[in-house]
Amino acid sequence: MSGPFESTGSRGAWSASATRPPRPAGDHAGPRARRVSSVKLVVAGGFGVGKTTFVSAVSEIPPLTTEAAMTSESEQVDDASLVGAKTTTTVAMDFGRITVDDALVMYLFGTPGQERFAFMWDDLCDGALGAVVLADTRRLADSFVALDYFETRDTPFVVGVNHFPGSYHYPIPEVREALGVAPHIPVVDCDARNRQSVKIALVTLLQHVYELRRAALVP
Amino acid sequence: MTHELPPRGTPDFVRPFVMTGGRTRAADTSLRMETMVQTVGEPRDDLNFEKARIVDECYEPISIAEIAAGLGVPLGVAMVIVGDLVDDGCLETTDPVEIELSTITRMIERVRAL
Repeated sequence: MSGPFESTGSRGAWSASATRPPRPAGDHAGPRARRVSSVKLVVAGGFGVGKTTFVSAVSEIPPLTTEAAMTSESEQVDDASLVGAKTTTTVAMDFGRITVDDALVMYLFGTPGQERFAFMWDDLCDGALGAVVLADTRRLADSFVALDYFETRDTPFVVGVNHFPGSYHYPIPEVREALGVAPHIPVVDCDARNRQSVKIALVTLLQHVYELRRAALVP
Repeated sequence: MTHELPPRGTPDFVRPFVMTGGRTRAADTSLRMETMVQTVGEPRDDLNFEKARIVDECYEPISIAEIAAGLGVPLGVAMVIVGDLVDDGCLETTDPVEIELSTITRMIERVRAL
């Protein structure tokens, strides 16, 4: 039985090397600090659908993992106190980075593996520009939680249908019908292992966001 | 996620929220995992390990999520420490910008060029 934060000893990437990076010479930062802002995109879908693979296909850094702690009411009741115990869970999120230019960085965050963690997606999705929901044709229902979530939140999203070796290649219109997504939501084939394919899915999402914003459907 | 961990009770194991004095929420609630952080001001030598490490690593702007991953601490811990460093005048954060259509066009061009 491990405590909630036991997995967080000094194992971060920075502690791998004992030496600290040298401070830059001359005038660093200061009031003329370069302003860099960030944009967040979310990659969602069921467990094992290829979210981290998707992120690593386009990220300029190997995907990093960060952990978030969440507390939820336990269903068990402590007999001694008759007070519901609280359970703290640590979930891992993988993310990657694409530098757009000197002033803007895009981050791609994968939702925590299992859909039972959907209750903590709010922290992840607040401020997100949009989302790619990955679907596996062998287990389409696994993506329903993500679809419901983004539909309810009015977060712009597209669906990427990830094809696994040996799975029947359903035509997109059939997948769209099975998923029951609105006609204006783009649904595209997406092989998460293929950089080109992932790029197309991301561009599709960004174009979708662009169109929604241009039409002022999204504030 | 599985990691080889130092067993509880060994000197290598530090409960992460010890670094935050037990606080689990940053004073600045506007911080997000993607908030960009940058070191400002004069170098300081009065900072403890994690704070000194963050200040050293943030001369080039990075996100709080990258700080958490770099230190190997949960996001909540990184947010508390970053919040303190902002209060101390060691770090600045970039407020979220309004994403304009031209910005989205830049993003599309960048992804296409990958």
